[in-house]
Amino acid sequence: MVRSLSQRYPTSFRLVASVVLCALALAVTFVLTPLDDSKLAGGAAMSIVILGLSWLIGWSGQVSLGNAGFMAIGAYTTAIWANHHTTSPIIWSLFLSTVLGGVSGLVLALPATRLRGPYLAGMTLAFSFAVAPLAIDSRSLTGGSGGLFINFLNAPSWFANLFSGSDALVKANAQWPADVAIVVAAVAFFFMANLFRSRTGRALRLVRDNEVAAELVGVNLQRTRTLAFVISAAYAGLGGSMMTLLSGSVTPQTYGLTLSILLLTLMVLGGIGTLSGAVIGGLIYSYSDNIVSVVNKVTGVNPTSTFGANLKGIVFGVLLILTMMLAPRGLVGLGSYLRRLVRR
Amino acid sequence: MTLPTGALTLSVENVSVHFGGLYALSDVSFNVAANEIVGLIGPNGAGKTTAFNVVCGFLRPQSGSVRFPHLGRSDLRPHQLAHAGIARTLQGVGLFERLTVLENVMAGAQSRPGGGVLWGALGLPRSSRGERALRAEALSNLERLGVAGYAASLPGEIPYGIAKKVAVARALMVQPSLLLLDEPASGLDENELEEFARVIVELGSTTSVLLVEHNMDFVMPLVHRLVVLNFGQVIAAGSPGEISHDETVLAAYLGVDE
Repeated sequence: MVRSLSQRYPTSFRLVASVVLCALALAVTFVLTPLDDSKLAGGAAMSIVILGLSWLIGWSGQVSLGNAGFMAIGAYTTAIWANHHTTSPIIWSLFLSTVLGGVSGLVLALPATRLRGPYLAGMTLAFSFAVAPLAIDSRSLTGGSGGLFINFLNAPSWFANLFSGSDALVKANAQWPADVAIVVAAVAFFFMANLFRSRTGRALRLVRDNEVAAELVGVNLQRTRTLAFVISAAYAGLGGSMMTLLSGSVTPQTYGLTLSILLLTLMVLGGIGTLSGAVIGGLIYSYSDNIVSVVNKVTGVNPTSTFGANLKGIVFGVLLILTMMLAPRGLVGLGSYLRRLVRR
Repeated sequence: MTLPTGALTLSVENVSVHFGGLYALSDVSFNVAANEIVGLIGPNGAGKTTAFNVVCGFLRPQSGSVRFPHLGRSDLRPHQLAHAGIARTLQGVGLFERLTVLENVMAGAQSRPGGGVLWGALGLPRSSRGERALRAEALSNLERLGVAGYAASLPGEIPYGIAKKVAVARALMVQPSLLLLDEPASGLDENELEEFARVIVELGSTTSVLLVEHNMDFVMPLVHRLVVLNFGQVIAAGSPGEISHDETVLAAYLGVDE
């Protein structure tokens, strides 16, 4: 009988897989340039958010254009906490941001989970729009439109000592945040892998596929939809927290509608509802500027022109359309399609 | 659950449902006893489906009540049914299209306690053990209905008759004391009908069954008792033998009682 891989192997397999993949990613950071390290760090943080969105859209069938807003909650939580408790370990920042992200998800879910399709999208869209102005107005808490700054996530001395040479400290201080981000992402992915295979994960798919039948097998629709939202928002909060830690700052403009749409695009490009799709989405985010500059070179568009400045949006828009047309299951789906083709 | 013979598992008492001025059900009463197979029949528009939806809690009657005497409970909401050990299949098949047949059957036990979201996320042994046990049980229910060979298929890939059995296998996951079958015969061919009738008779040895059906040939040899609805009222109730000679019923089915 054909069963999917993760069904055949229990939690211990998922644990080993997470540790091995995490170790591999950490090993890679040792050979990357400082610039690539910091790109990878951003990608790892983003992949957490994409995974949470994938869980909401791919598994529960609810659309959200507001996950950048939940990221903002996490990002600000981290900045505010870190400024008040400068010596507190970052795990507290991450934990608090995750929890507050989840709580804000709960608050939005109470009305949102009663809505469907375009109405739900509309409501989360409104949330996306509201975040930046709210952050700008609550100046005493958020620093207004200037945002907040925190200390950079510098490498501890034991880590810095691993490196030698003239720019050892530069390399260590670029790699440390990347490694932290990778470990955090690995933990988040491990939990999600478990959730995918848990009774809760199945409940989400039941509600998505057939509400009436789901209710008849004992699923509480409202509770399940809310849970999907809360977990998705918690992942966004965690990702937002990581973004603040990585950049050492948070500004309200970062977390608007554009980012929410970018999240959607990255999720679709990678592959909806899968772990590897979220990883691919994160990697595309890491190297999105490289992709755009290649397009720049090929087309000869002047990057400083109006058209050139908006090229990123255009490139991702075209990529999104192409993916939907040619590989609706994203790059992950394309991969398995090609594998089947080769096997034939 | 083993119940004494004659103990009631379902008691519909004086139920009336109206949509605006239209009475879909008026003063409908009937019972189902332990290990009894009861057919709810009637011409199209007689109120069969409405009665079924009231039993399931999808519809609230304006008056009257639905009791489950063996549980000491009444007027359950749809998502409480499974917890209480009452299973319903849907008209059509109502399978989850993007889940495999095996997962569909496992979903039948969704109401069982064990493994909250935190346990699931941490992947604790309790959660994965539960899932493994569930998988084995789902497989054995598929075997009981003779469709285990389709466990890895998607509902869209299997014949309709098989899908109907899968739906029954899913219903069995709640180890029901009362099984509600909504038009089990619809869409089945002669051979499938015969086989499905055998399945239902076999199920009747462990649970009581209430089925809504308009295929009389299918129902007659199958059930212990029939309840006949017409224009939202019970016009007759009794054994298949009695019903087949009942003047009112014959008139209703031939459409001459106006």
